[in-house]
Amino acid sequence: MMKKHRNLLNYSFDCLRRYRMRTAVILITFLIATTMISAVLFTKDGLEREAELSVDSSPDLTIQYIKAGRAEPISTAYIDDIAKVEGVERVLKRTWGYAGIGDKTYVVIGLDPTGLDYSRGVITSLESGRFLTPEDDGTGNVVVGKLIAGMLKVKVGDDMILLSESVDANKFHVVGVFSDESSIYTADMIVMCLSDANDFFKMPEGMVTDLCVYVEPDQIPNNVAAKMTSMPNVRILDQDLLLRGYRAAYGARGGIFTTLWTILLVAIALIAFSQAIVVGHESKFEVGLLKTFGFSTLDIIEVRLVESAVLGFFASSLGMVIGFVYAAYFNAPALVDILLGWAFLPKEFHLPVLVSATSVFSIYAVTVVPLLITTVVPAWLNAITDPELAMRRAAA
Amino acid sequence: MIEVRNLTKIFNRGKFNETVAVSDISLKIKDKSIVALTGPSGCGKTTLLSMMSLILTPTSGEILYDGDNLLSGSDNFKTNFRRMNFGFIFQHINLLPQYTTIENILLPLYAFDAEPKEYEERAYSWLKKLGIYDRATHLVEQLSGGEQQRAAFVRALIREPKYIFADEPTVFVDEETSRIIYRIFMELREAGKTIVLSTHDPELIKVADEVYKIKRGSLA
Repeated sequence: MMKKHRNLLNYSFDCLRRYRMRTAVILITFLIATTMISAVLFTKDGLEREAELSVDSSPDLTIQYIKAGRAEPISTAYIDDIAKVEGVERVLKRTWGYAGIGDKTYVVIGLDPTGLDYSRGVITSLESGRFLTPEDDGTGNVVVGKLIAGMLKVKVGDDMILLSESVDANKFHVVGVFSDESSIYTADMIVMCLSDANDFFKMPEGMVTDLCVYVEPDQIPNNVAAKMTSMPNVRILDQDLLLRGYRAAYGARGGIFTTLWTILLVAIALIAFSQAIVVGHESKFEVGLLKTFGFSTLDIIEVRLVESAVLGFFASSLGMVIGFVYAAYFNAPALVDILLGWAFLPKEFHLPVLVSATSVFSIYAVTVVPLLITTVVPAWLNAITDPELAMRRAAA
Repeated sequence: MIEVRNLTKIFNRGKFNETVAVSDISLKIKDKSIVALTGPSGCGKTTLLSMMSLILTPTSGEILYDGDNLLSGSDNFKTNFRRMNFGFIFQHINLLPQYTTIENILLPLYAFDAEPKEYEERAYSWLKKLGIYDRATHLVEQLSGGEQQRAAFVRALIREPKYIFADEPTVFVDEETSRIIYRIFMELREAGKTIVLSTHDPELIKVADEVYKIKRGSLA
């Protein structure tokens, strides 16, 4: 039986060669479609991983002061009330905002020096230098993202100037550079001690932008948050909410993914349609002839299955490789702006690209499976028809 | 022996364009013989030949090979029987245009647990006999109608089947090739093969051991 299967396999490859035009049309369409969709999906996967890393480094709960529905500076007087809530382990002050260097905008974060020994998450993952210590409070020492370091050509030990909102020049001293591990989170970030950030943003005395709450290890953050709902004028953000926000921003922005998936499905449907119409007659005749010679229905299905699977998997796999290279090495021109439109990231920023099994499986599922169905089902229908009738109908 | 009992084929049954192609035909074909089905165009020769060769299901009737009614078997059984026992020469030749002559000839062997290449020598010997040896590696679309018919002839014989069904086998070939084909049919009969053919060719009819005349789907 092995020789027979080898014969059928050879025949399948012959079909790919013989139906050159159909092979080329499917190959090119699949390549374009899978290149586009894989570039988007792999980038989306990368961005979502970044979001997860970012959330890992954020506090269990973030408390903001809300006035007229908008976030405003919060008084540090809230700390005593929050600290008394059952399950709260620690409350830290934080001030953050945006700063400009040239025409670019970056995130400035001021951390509570009393919490700087509280290392958790990737925020302390450094490529060079050191992280801030309580002794850095008020010294102007900063840790910067790798992107900023690259753009400003600064390294550990260098000074940098930041312009505040009142256009005062503020000099800072770089003591550390973040690693790539959480690239999108730390890329545009400048971390300093709280008093330096408060000075920089000219925050009123006793005010910060938000409070970071860490709960005791055996406590569920949501349950602790529920006990704070009676506090007036505060908004409580937990990690799940932040993650959902990040995912919404990265993942489904502007319906781009839906649009691209639709384009892909339409392309596949068109191919399926052309398969059925253009090759249909020729294929019908061929199946009738093969049945006459003694090819069984299963033999014919095997031939068509191999033919479609080889073509579909080859085209989709190649498309995925090109899509990956397009995103990871060429930074997905034309896509990057759509994907990262919300962020203040210059073009020097390299997209985080991740190839997840789910995305690979999804791409194969929407490309190879329809192709298999649209080739195998008509072949099967012809194979169960009298060979003479199949050939007559094809000739008609 | 092939025995056909009350064979009927009605196309588009129950529809406005219902056509009775073959009506209640019964006949017997002895082994190692040449049987010709003759009659005017559209009389049902090809339909009868197709039913006897199990590539068209009759509306009613029986077809027995050596006493076994093959119509009661599954599609797989009939396919298997065709593969092992039949060779076909079609009126419309039916070669795959993008294949070469030799590839077309070896095509039926892909359904066997065999190495098609091992049959090449036999194929070339037949091509030589039929005068198209030098056309073996040409695409069939580059061959004349007569050359294509000869290639189809070789394809039918490549596995040396027990039964050969030929639908107008000499319709596209010149006189000289026709004579070669008559001789080959006689040689095949001598070799123990049974040949059932439909034809208008009086010379070919002369070669037949038995002739059935068909008129409007029935034996005349």
